Amino acid sequence: MSEYVLELKGITKIFPGVKALNRVQFQLKPGEVHALMGENGAGKSTFIKVITGVHKAEEGEMFLNGAKVDFKGPRDAQAAGIAAVYQHPTSYPDLTVTENIFMNHEIKKRGLIQWKEMNQEARKLLDQLDADFKPTAEMGALSVAQQQMVEIAKALSTHAKIVILDEPTAALTANESEKLYRIVDKLRDDGVSIIFISHRFEDMYRLATRVTVFRDSQYIGTYKVDEITNAELIKQMVGREITDLFPKPDVTVGAEVLKVENLSRTGYYKNVSLHVRAGEIVGLTGLVGAGRTEVVESVCGLTKANSGKVYLNGNEIRVKNPTDAKNLGIVLLPEDRQKAGLILEWGLGRNVTLPILKKFVKNGMINENEERNLSKRLLEEVDTKAVTIFDPASSLSGGNQQKVVVAKALAQDNMKVVIMDEPTKGVDVGAKAEIYAIMGELAKQGFAIIMISSEMPEILGMSDRIYVMCNGSVTGELKRGEATQEKILEYAMEKNANEKSAVKKEGVN
Amino acid sequence: MAGKSGRTIEATPQDVWKKRIFSWEGMLVVLFLFINIFCRCLSPNYTVTNVLREMPKYLSEIFLLLPMAYILMLGEIDISVGSTVCLAATVACMATNAGVPFVGVIFITILTGTVCGMVNGFILLKFPELPSMIVTLGTQIVFRGIAEIMLGSGGSVSVTNTAGFRALSGEIGPFPYVFFLVLICGAVFVVLSIKTTFGRSLYAIGSNSRTSFYSGIKVGKIRFLVFTLMGTFAGLAALFLTSELYGANTTTGNGFEMDAIAMAVFGGISTAGGKGKMVGGLISAFIIVCLRIGLGQINMNPQVVLIILGALLICAVLIPNISASLGLKKKKVK
Repeated sequence: MSEYVLELKGITKIFPGVKALNRVQFQLKPGEVHALMGENGAGKSTFIKVITGVHKAEEGEMFLNGAKVDFKGPRDAQAAGIAAVYQHPTSYPDLTVTENIFMNHEIKKRGLIQWKEMNQEARKLLDQLDADFKPTAEMGALSVAQQQMVEIAKALSTHAKIVILDEPTAALTANESEKLYRIVDKLRDDGVSIIFISHRFEDMYRLATRVTVFRDSQYIGTYKVDEITNAELIKQMVGREITDLFPKPDVTVGAEVLKVENLSRTGYYKNVSLHVRAGEIVGLTGLVGAGRTEVVESVCGLTKANSGKVYLNGNEIRVKNPTDAKNLGIVLLPEDRQKAGLILEWGLGRNVTLPILKKFVKNGMINENEERNLSKRLLEEVDTKAVTIFDPASSLSGGNQQKVVVAKALAQDNMKVVIMDEPTKGVDVGAKAEIYAIMGELAKQGFAIIMISSEMPEILGMSDRIYVMCNGSVTGELKRGEATQEKILEYAMEKNANEKSAVKKEGVN
Repeated sequence: MAGKSGRTIEATPQDVWKKRIFSWEGMLVVLFLFINIFCRCLSPNYTVTNVLREMPKYLSEIFLLLPMAYILMLGEIDISVGSTVCLAATVACMATNAGVPFVGVIFITILTGTVCGMVNGFILLKFPELPSMIVTLGTQIVFRGIAEIMLGSGGSVSVTNTAGFRALSGEIGPFPYVFFLVLICGAVFVVLSIKTTFGRSLYAIGSNSRTSFYSGIKVGKIRFLVFTLMGTFAGLAALFLTSELYGANTTTGNGFEMDAIAMAVFGGISTAGGKGKMVGGLISAFIIVCLRIGLGQINMNPQVVLIILGALLICAVLIPNISASLGLKKKKVK
């Protein structure tokens, strides 16, 4: 038996015009959890696709247990015991868990699918993962975390010896992540080798023994996790030093701008009261499904609250639709910026001006010169990495897409309240720092900022005040000085798991 | 603000004319010229005067193309317009026969179309999760059903007093009135789609209705407006169709919706929404009209003409697809 279960040497992958991987190497020891880190576009995903046989490398060799292999397609990789769980679960939402697990390798006898055996087998796999749902459940009814478990079960059902997890915690809350960690631990104890891609440092520290860093399509190095400091690792990933990840400026907080009083929406949240002042960054946290997004959606007129009041600068307001919110100066930067924040196939410039087109109208027609000049100025102000304002938004990385969304908010010059829902989700560490800097800058300019986030470090690092939600209610409010991870978690979890919450459970997901 | 890198972003469009010429619309212009030369070679009767004389027969469909293009840009579809034309034409004939003055007939006909469009728009406004294909399939049957009840057992109606309609199909020199109206409406639709916030909203909603809604665009209102506009133009088309046929029957307007959709798609307006240009739709409409006139003049079997048009349409949607997939392969880097 060789030292490594999987070894890749000098892998080069060329896409027309671009070297996506440039002579990279990688070694995976048996039964280890190996983190693969790097910024977006560093080549991690391409590399994974080379391992799983989706892409064929132009150069380089791959060894499995010391023997050279040459995968012609994903099927070969699967047969060799390699399975990948991708970032976005690639499931069939209308089918059952069992059907999803055994998709393409159903248990058959004389050409007929053996449902009973398959369900039993699925049950076994799910038990192994401590899953709390039935194999006959419909995939679409499960939470993201549960769907991920199904994906892992699917990997196990192929008897994979090497499992690749591509950003599995990106959509998970702290609790769910912890559960995933335990699953990974268990898999490792069972002798499965794991490659783990993540932007979250917590994941890496918790799970991995070694970490390999890619940058700009190149291999930078492999380090033992307990021998490298956080700062050093970031430097390797970004290629420069980031001195202050959370540049929270000292701002004198002004008058109260937005106040929400006893807002309720049946099935989603109940009696929520919160306020935010000018120049203040208010963190809104809690587990996914606690009702955070639902509250701000009602504030922005996307949904209707059943009762409660909202005040802007002391005056009661009624926001019936997003147009009202826009006219009042309440701007939401939605969590799903690709589906709700941007028009991906459009140029950056037109994305920025979408909410404020009326401003450029002269004699009924849009003055495109003025429009272009404004979007250029705003996109430069937030330092977007783009060549022209006509580049499609889809061509940018997650961090730069977020900057475009910020520019779009800034275009609305009546803006008073900025609500950012998971502003750094899917954003790599270098761009994260830039987005925090922008957020700090917005606070300095006197905007009232609400930041919804599941990421503890950014909630603690950026907020002046923190509201914690659980099951549709605000369960705690903490000041910057007094907030700690433990206190937040305490508020975020149900005190008594058996106690029926005030809010209907089904509506919350 | 955070502009520490001092990076600048280019904001002047490059090679505007080059891009215009090498676009789908540019190709359509070439094809339009080619088709006309082709028809001229084919038929000695294919002269400007003759073509213009025959054109009104086909022009009513261009009235349908204009709002249909908007509907497709929204990512929606309306397959009820053929029935709307039938109903409006029936109303026009009956109103004329009932002795309503011609101005009143014009008003009632357009109103009938508008109401039909509003019905579609209203259903889609109140139930935004319903697919427009199914809603308009339903109203397609309903509108034609109403027309058939009005037409009664005979199934057809003829205009007894044709004076008004004959005046409507008049000409200035070789140009029929309707030709000017089509051009004016076409120009307005083109300008609206590229120069106004309304036009930009159409493309925005068609590309991503959720982002548009979040950005404060009144998605429901615009959708309602465009479907209503579709109805209004169906009424207009019915008016000019009646001035050609002096009557209506249960098959009036049959398949018009598909012709309008075909013209738009041939013009590069994708049924998926958010793509294509109004100009392209207009040019393609005239290409199809000219081809029909030319092939009609050499007495080609109308069924064969249909086959040719169908094949042309498939080629038209295939070409951008093929070039897009080639382009995708080049860009697929990550």
